[in-house]
Amino acid sequence: MQEHTQLSNKQINDDLLKDILTVPKWWLPAVAFLSLIVLTGLGAFFFMMYHGLGVTGLNRPVMWGFFIANFVFWIGISHAGIMISAILRLTQAEWRRPITRAAEVMTVFSLIAALHTPLMHVGRPWRVLYWIFPYDFSRGIWPNIRSPFVWDPSAVGTYLIASSLFVFVCLIPDLAILRDRVKNPIGKKIYSQLALGFRGTPRQWKLQIIAGILLSALVLPVFVSVHSIVSWDFAVLIGVEGWRSTIFAPYFIIGAIHSGVSAVAMLMALSVWLYGLDKYIKPDHFDAIARLLIVVATTWFFFFFLEWVYALYTLESPEIALRELQAFEWPYGPLFAIFVITSFVIPVPMWLFKRVRRSAALMFWTTILVNIGMWLERFLIVIPGLLRRTHMTFDWGTYHPSIIEILIVVETFAFVCLGMLLFAKVLPLIPLFDIKEGMVNRRLIKVGRRVVPATIREGLPHHYYENKH
Amino acid sequence: MVTDPGNRVIESYVETDNSAEARKAVSDGILNIHKVTSNRFWQFAALFGIMFVLGLIGFVMRLSSGFDDKAAWGYYVALFAFLMTTSSAAPMVAIAPRIANSHWRRPISRAAEIWTLAGCLNLLIYIPLIWLLPSLENGRRSLWFYGQQKAQDMDSCWVFCWGGGVPAYSPHIWATLAILGLVVLGFALLWLSILPDLAVLRDHGEGWQKKWGRKLALGWRGTSAQWNWQYHRMGVVGAFYFMMLVFVHFFISVEFLMVHVPGWIDSLYPITHAHNALQGGVATVMLTMFFLRKFGGYKDYIGLDQFWGLGKLLLALSLLWFWFWFSSFMVLWYGKKPSEQAVLELLVKGPYLYLFITIFLLVFILPWFTMIWNPVRRSVWGPPILAGSILVGTLLDRIRLYVGAWDVAEKSEMMHSMMHMEMEEVPGTIPSLGIADAFVIVGFIAGSVLIFMLATRLIPAINIWERKEMLLYKAEVQFHRTKVMVMGKPR
Amino acid sequence: MAKRSVLGLYTEEDSAADALDNLREAGFEEDECEILTGVPYPEGTFGEAEPEHHLYRWPLIGAACGFTIALLITAGTELAYPLVTGGKPILSIPAMAIIMYEGSMLGAIIFTIIGIIFESRLPRIFMGAYSEKITEGHIGVTVTTDETRTDAAETALTKAGTDGEIIRGWE
Repeated sequence: MQEHTQLSNKQINDDLLKDILTVPKWWLPAVAFLSLIVLTGLGAFFFMMYHGLGVTGLNRPVMWGFFIANFVFWIGISHAGIMISAILRLTQAEWRRPITRAAEVMTVFSLIAALHTPLMHVGRPWRVLYWIFPYDFSRGIWPNIRSPFVWDPSAVGTYLIASSLFVFVCLIPDLAILRDRVKNPIGKKIYSQLALGFRGTPRQWKLQIIAGILLSALVLPVFVSVHSIVSWDFAVLIGVEGWRSTIFAPYFIIGAIHSGVSAVAMLMALSVWLYGLDKYIKPDHFDAIARLLIVVATTWFFFFFLEWVYALYTLESPEIALRELQAFEWPYGPLFAIFVITSFVIPVPMWLFKRVRRSAALMFWTTILVNIGMWLERFLIVIPGLLRRTHMTFDWGTYHPSIIEILIVVETFAFVCLGMLLFAKVLPLIPLFDIKEGMVNRRLIKVGRRVVPATIREGLPHHYYENKH
Repeated sequence: MVTDPGNRVIESYVETDNSAEARKAVSDGILNIHKVTSNRFWQFAALFGIMFVLGLIGFVMRLSSGFDDKAAWGYYVALFAFLMTTSSAAPMVAIAPRIANSHWRRPISRAAEIWTLAGCLNLLIYIPLIWLLPSLENGRRSLWFYGQQKAQDMDSCWVFCWGGGVPAYSPHIWATLAILGLVVLGFALLWLSILPDLAVLRDHGEGWQKKWGRKLALGWRGTSAQWNWQYHRMGVVGAFYFMMLVFVHFFISVEFLMVHVPGWIDSLYPITHAHNALQGGVATVMLTMFFLRKFGGYKDYIGLDQFWGLGKLLLALSLLWFWFWFSSFMVLWYGKKPSEQAVLELLVKGPYLYLFITIFLLVFILPWFTMIWNPVRRSVWGPPILAGSILVGTLLDRIRLYVGAWDVAEKSEMMHSMMHMEMEEVPGTIPSLGIADAFVIVGFIAGSVLIFMLATRLIPAINIWERKEMLLYKAEVQFHRTKVMVMGKPR
Repeated sequence: MAKRSVLGLYTEEDSAADALDNLREAGFEEDECEILTGVPYPEGTFGEAEPEHHLYRWPLIGAACGFTIALLITAGTELAYPLVTGGKPILSIPAMAIIMYEGSMLGAIIFTIIGIIFESRLPRIFMGAYSEKITEGHIGVTVTTDETRTDAAETALTKAGTDGEIIRGWE
């Protein structure tokens, strides 16, 4: 990173723990507001549970609507957290340091938001237990492992457990700092238990570093598999036009990375504004993430283009009719235009300019646009195909989301924001030891009149660099 | 040095060994190896030359068999696809790590770029395929939505209204332009990269190397403006090369492969083909590194860092191979549609079953189960062995796909069923490998290697200016009781 | 004999390294001495021995366990309650492979986490001699030894120059 502020350990502790040890003025009103939205959403869910799924807009043939689009959206957001953290750790990119934990925590809460949407969607969620634990063996039925709906919980569950444990393990050193700093006896006791007696021996630090790399390498294949499996909920079906495409797995994943990395950029901007972390999250970080976003967005757009090309390539009239519906007919046509414009046409050309890339405000607004577009993308994948799913025109339908569905979807957004705020109140969103390590490893190289930032690299024991082998 | 308010030093400058002597030592070291051509080199060049001549004989034999029997050209097309998957993709090893500012790529980027010269051989091999490709008038699926190809019972023509004026030979034109564009971009990338080293040859080379260095260096003097220009152009050309490579693989995988198999609608396959190219390119450079180190005299330049860096990349690409294959397979397998089952029967379960299992082992299982072990990945012998395995597997994979597809194409054309959504008949056997095909495969692979070898007589196989640039940013320093490596990141 | 720990706190890395050298000269073993830092330093910064670990066994064992359990669940339940769906065989390898893959990865990750905690010698019930200044940037050198040798340890630590703090604790 070209911009850098060298800080002492004490200063880092003070800056990054102040919002845990004290309560910012805006925090309580924000939590109250978000809690209200969450409670309203839960209220809508209980209303739906009592009155049945008829209070939603779901009906034949559109049996999947807002809930499923929302589910796929949040699974997508959850992907970037671990991806950014894992890939940047594996490539030893220095700019990862202030971002990794926030991204990982966003993954955990996004996954929980994603999971509770289909649970609400089933209408009678307590029956899910019977699906996992058959209550009546004599019926001779067990969950059908050939169904993508069984692969889903195995994948999402694995990812949730893996992400949560990843966050915890990487938190241990910071829990030790909190153990040492917190004065409140109850807090001190809780942090002491969670820190597991971490003291900072070379052995413990070495294993922390290896943990970061090894867990990244293990979680990345899970990250790839989760959204592939979610995409197969759609792609393996033969009854719905627009879904049967082999490109769905990587298309969903690259879309997930696009929306998720955009969400991480939003998080960075909010961290700077709400928590005053401008000494840690610099314009250089926004620049780096924007460059990543250009590559990801362009790749995503290529996949989107391929998906459309192959839909037309089939020369099958139902498929082409669906594409006409998606792109030209009300209300999907305008939504399609908005989706393309907000997810690619506006943000990507803007990101080509350095001034935009280095501005927290412009990055925040362009990435919001991306996420609006990507939510619409999931909506446009799920609903139009179902509208004319059957060949009999009398069975064609329309879909109008009800207020219940809207409230529940809004609740998921509020849930993730609330979760992040509550997390940031008790645990640091920026990993302190990672920042401190960056300070220790930072060096400067003078090349003529120019000073080039450098880092101590410990990838191999130094004798390997001597090429004597 | 920077101090804090308490006057304690909190940042200090690291001294790098960037003296004129050190820079001269880099040039001299590489030039001293570059100037010498051993007898063994000429022996191998002669051997590859003879094999290339056999390849040309096979090429003529294949041409003389005419263009009517498509199935007979299957192996030829497979070889073309294999060379596009390996030598044309090798420059990506120079482009991508350069954009990511990875220092480990410096000793190997030149070798990766030199492989672009084999592109002219690929262009030669491509030419007969222009005659082989059916025109759109014959009635076949294509990316060009030819106006007369309307789907059955379809009223809407918006898809075709804008495509109605597409020439019947659009695939031929665009594929040719794309491959030509790739070759030109490859040459441009190589020339931009070697300019400063040609200046070194001009100034310090001997004999014909000095003469050609003077001609091709075009007055390079090393001004700031020239370096800036060169750096930015390399970035732009590199990015365009990557996009063109994906574009070319898109064309090859659709027009030369999928359209010939009725019912094979696989939107992921162009990406899979491009990914196979990246994997093949990395494997090609890995093997090149091994031979340059072992036989080329570059042992002090190509070290563990390079094998380790590329090894990690190769492992990731091998895992991705499986993911791309499984993503296509799962969708085709799950639906149990007869048309898709026929495609799986052709490519996986039918006559090519044992070939597929072999490919699966060579390209995925073997790299995965060996390269997850650090001692294998972090060695100079492990990754090259796996690279060899991947290259053999990739060749067999191209044969499986292209020979199978062109065998079906022959039968489908005969039955006028190229537009159908299901194969009339899945072939029960693999077309046999003729003597012409064997000559072509062995000969043109040898020809690509020969081009690389001859190119390294003029162009230094190790990038001199990038090695010198490394002196600016790398230092080994004492850090309290240990030594550490410090690496600078200028951009 | 009960073990005691003695901690010396330093503000400079070289002082901590000198303290470690003094302890070696005084006859203390490597495994009796430990460096405590609030930030990871490059290996060997204080002249300490490279810590050995066997972490890499854990993901392999975990993956094997996860794979086995997933195989038993998928194959076992489908054979126990055979129900043909979608024209696919009862034991459908592509479908089973997905759940077996997830099971293997879950097993590998869970065992890796356990391995990291175990190899880090955590959880540690007694902190021994420890100071909160370590997480503020001080470097600690701690010696865990018999009661009779704690004075010698303190002498060795003080020779390197502390900023006035020697802490004693129970192991």
